[in-house]
Amino acid sequence: MRHRKYLAKVFFAALLALLLVGIVSAQTLKIPPHEKIALKNGLTLLVLEKHGVPIVSFSAIVKTGSAADPAGQDGLATITAGLLRKGTQKRTAQQFASDLDFIGGSFDAGADTDYTTISAEFLTKDLDRGLDLFTDAVLHASFPQAEVDKLLAQSIDGVKASKDEAEAVLGNYYGGYLYGTHAYGRPGGGDELTLKRIQRDAIAKFYSTNYVPSNTILAVAGEFNPAELKKKLEDAFGAWPAKTAPAVNIPAPATVKGKRLLLVDKTDATQTYFEIGNVGVSATDPDRVAIRVVNTAFGGTFASILNTALRIESGYTYGAQSFFQPQKVAGPFAIASFTKNETTVPAIDLALKVLDDLHKNGLTQVQLDTAKKYLKGQFPPRIETSGQLAARIAANEFYGLDDNEINQLEARIDAVTLESAKGIIEKHFPKENMVFVLIGKAAEIRPAVKKYAEQIDEQKISAPGFWPPAK
Amino acid sequence: MRKSSFFFAVSVLLCALGFVGVVKAQSEAKQFPVESKTLKNGMKVLVQSDHSIPNVALYIFYRIGSRNEHPGTTGLSHFFEHMMFNGAKKYGPGELDKIMEANGGENNAYTTQNTTVYQDWFPRLALPLIFDIEADRIQYLQFDPKKIASEREVVASERRLRTDNDNSGLLDEQLWATAFIAHPYQWPVVGWMSDIEHWTMDDLKRHFEMGYSPNNATMVVVGDVTADEIFQLCEKYIEPIPTHAPPPPVTTVEPEQQGERRLVVHKTAELPLLMIGYHVPQTNNPDFYALNILRTVLFQGESSRMYQRLVDKDQIALDVSAFVQPSFDPTLAIVVAQPKQGVDPAKCETAIYEELDKTKSALILDQELEKAKNIRLVEFYHQMRTINGRANTIGTYEVFFGDYARLFDAAKNYSAVTKEDVQRVAKKYFGANNRTVATLIPETEEKAKQ
Repeated sequence: MRHRKYLAKVFFAALLALLLVGIVSAQTLKIPPHEKIALKNGLTLLVLEKHGVPIVSFSAIVKTGSAADPAGQDGLATITAGLLRKGTQKRTAQQFASDLDFIGGSFDAGADTDYTTISAEFLTKDLDRGLDLFTDAVLHASFPQAEVDKLLAQSIDGVKASKDEAEAVLGNYYGGYLYGTHAYGRPGGGDELTLKRIQRDAIAKFYSTNYVPSNTILAVAGEFNPAELKKKLEDAFGAWPAKTAPAVNIPAPATVKGKRLLLVDKTDATQTYFEIGNVGVSATDPDRVAIRVVNTAFGGTFASILNTALRIESGYTYGAQSFFQPQKVAGPFAIASFTKNETTVPAIDLALKVLDDLHKNGLTQVQLDTAKKYLKGQFPPRIETSGQLAARIAANEFYGLDDNEINQLEARIDAVTLESAKGIIEKHFPKENMVFVLIGKAAEIRPAVKKYAEQIDEQKISAPGFWPPAK
Repeated sequence: MRKSSFFFAVSVLLCALGFVGVVKAQSEAKQFPVESKTLKNGMKVLVQSDHSIPNVALYIFYRIGSRNEHPGTTGLSHFFEHMMFNGAKKYGPGELDKIMEANGGENNAYTTQNTTVYQDWFPRLALPLIFDIEADRIQYLQFDPKKIASEREVVASERRLRTDNDNSGLLDEQLWATAFIAHPYQWPVVGWMSDIEHWTMDDLKRHFEMGYSPNNATMVVVGDVTADEIFQLCEKYIEPIPTHAPPPPVTTVEPEQQGERRLVVHKTAELPLLMIGYHVPQTNNPDFYALNILRTVLFQGESSRMYQRLVDKDQIALDVSAFVQPSFDPTLAIVVAQPKQGVDPAKCETAIYEELDKTKSALILDQELEKAKNIRLVEFYHQMRTINGRANTIGTYEVFFGDYARLFDAAKNYSAVTKEDVQRVAKKYFGANNRTVATLIPETEEKAKQ
């Protein structure tokens, strides 16, 4: 394959579809109409009718994620979500799997730092059976001890397996090194030690405390009769007892001052995998669209400044990208790439040079215009399916963003000028202060990479946890 | 997409072929009409209009892949795929991506053992530009020595990422190299590293002439277009391209395997890994449907027999799965199991054989058969829900079954599969003599240094 989808990290969770005929045209991108219903118990329902294929997509957000994991028990929110389908008041894990697979349904649950998501899809003809499964897992999970033990054991091995692939864990080390003890620095999926500390009681408590109607948003999109669907949803969720969950307060993280470098030693690596950057912005930052435009030009596409330098012109790597991960509070910004051990320093030098040049020279008119056209041209397929739309409207509701997030997107993109782009670069792209995280063969690259930072830290990839070192 | 580029292609194509099933009556599944035309130069063009979004997905499938290569130049098809973005006559080096992005478009490509596939995704306003670009590079690709040298490094980096530094990529490569001793499926799509370093300009030019004739390609366009406008654009941009001889047929037939083959990779790793390959027929073989039902019953979903046994009951594996790539020639069905830490992969192996044997000694249940067919129907709709999924799926059917219409009578073909058929293919293909077993055994860092 020629290149990967670089935008994945930035937009993946979000990018969604406008399939309604006539709603989309080249210049008037709009989200299909959808309805918001507040149930008496506090549950927020979002309903979006969308035709094309006979599928109904469910996307629920429980407004508590891994940032709420108790100290030393990283992974609790993730494990709780993973166990929803592993036994309920009326189904064993096996029965749930059989009923789900028989109708070809899908069910996924997991935790991000900001919130937990539970998504499911079923054919329209199986809506009743699908809704029964979805409701059963979300409202009536029972956490059998044997299933708890199984999932924890699998998850611990899963962390180990992921360390066999540098790229899969680079983000964990980067987050940890960038954010330190801040909630965004902890591994959402847990690590080899924190997962061992998680007990069934803590899981059951996390569930009963946070999986409550006023703490939940449920978006349903797809092919259905809206009046009938609303009735079904009210019947299924109306009796969910009202309860309030504690709000999760995530403090604004501090930007890193100075330069620090973490070298993670993977003795069999023939390439160095690196991320360089600093704390970025929140999902509601007023500059968010302009940042997306500038980052698209800098490191968001194949022909971006960064990939042109590191891949197209120099051949140092298969790919180089930059991304912001906007979250409830400021998520990370990073430049990310990889290169063979021998070219580690030239590749990092070049990445730093293009970042420096961005500050010195800003964007050209052509680069800016290209980024705008690209973002607008590639947006419709990102909101094409009912699954994408359900996830998008649920996330917007969580962050308090309205439909203008999509309906005004083109206008907001168009409003970015060379002058405002300059301000965005100055304000949001790191210049002097940054962290470096490298996974590679330390024996070959250690001496040469010391030049990048005043503070150097080192960790073996086989050591438990990520960063800071697990205790 | 965590595995090798070939794995990626595999999963894309797998999905494309996996969905097929349309359960009870064909009338139950929605129809998605396709219009077709063969140009004078032999290129077949398939068009499906869908005006849901103002975008278009355009795929060009070339029937050339690593099976058309030879020792010494392995990986050439994949390298060539990279070169197709590095400049032609009208759109010079670096211009293709810039111009496409400046018009709101994006592109990619993938190479498999059998095909090289180019993908464009763009707003409909960019239609003429995309045709101009595609026509330019099919006819007038440049071979700039500097670009070739630089792209060699890029591909080497891709190989390190997806094969050398990836346990599943590495083991998969070893498995094919052991299971095939004669047929070209034995070498990796990305190529051996020494071949990546050594192929020459002449090799590249020969490959271009061999594989990139219009009569060796199929174009699929899905999205905010009409068939008439696409056929007109084809007449203007594509039809004038002269045709020439397609790649010579691959005549080597893999001799029947007559005994189990085993291989071990020792490597620094946290966890072991197990892969078992069985020789199975090519995609257009009638057993395709029964094999797919068997695979679904055994491997798909947490209610599948293998998941229930290895992951849930015995708790010896983190996951277990199986896949078959679409192929022109007899290929491999590969079972992958990720043993838990400290578990001897042999334990997983035994459990897998026992579960396979049960499908030989007894018929699968009615409910399992129905479940498998339901899963196929849902996957069909999952592929049909995006213009990109449709373009890839329609093209995959056209290329591997020889007719995109097989997509729409897959329903009938799956309905015809009986429990006895499933038992028959289990017995026929999943015997010990027909398998190659690959195991990755973790080594400690100290031992690895010795």
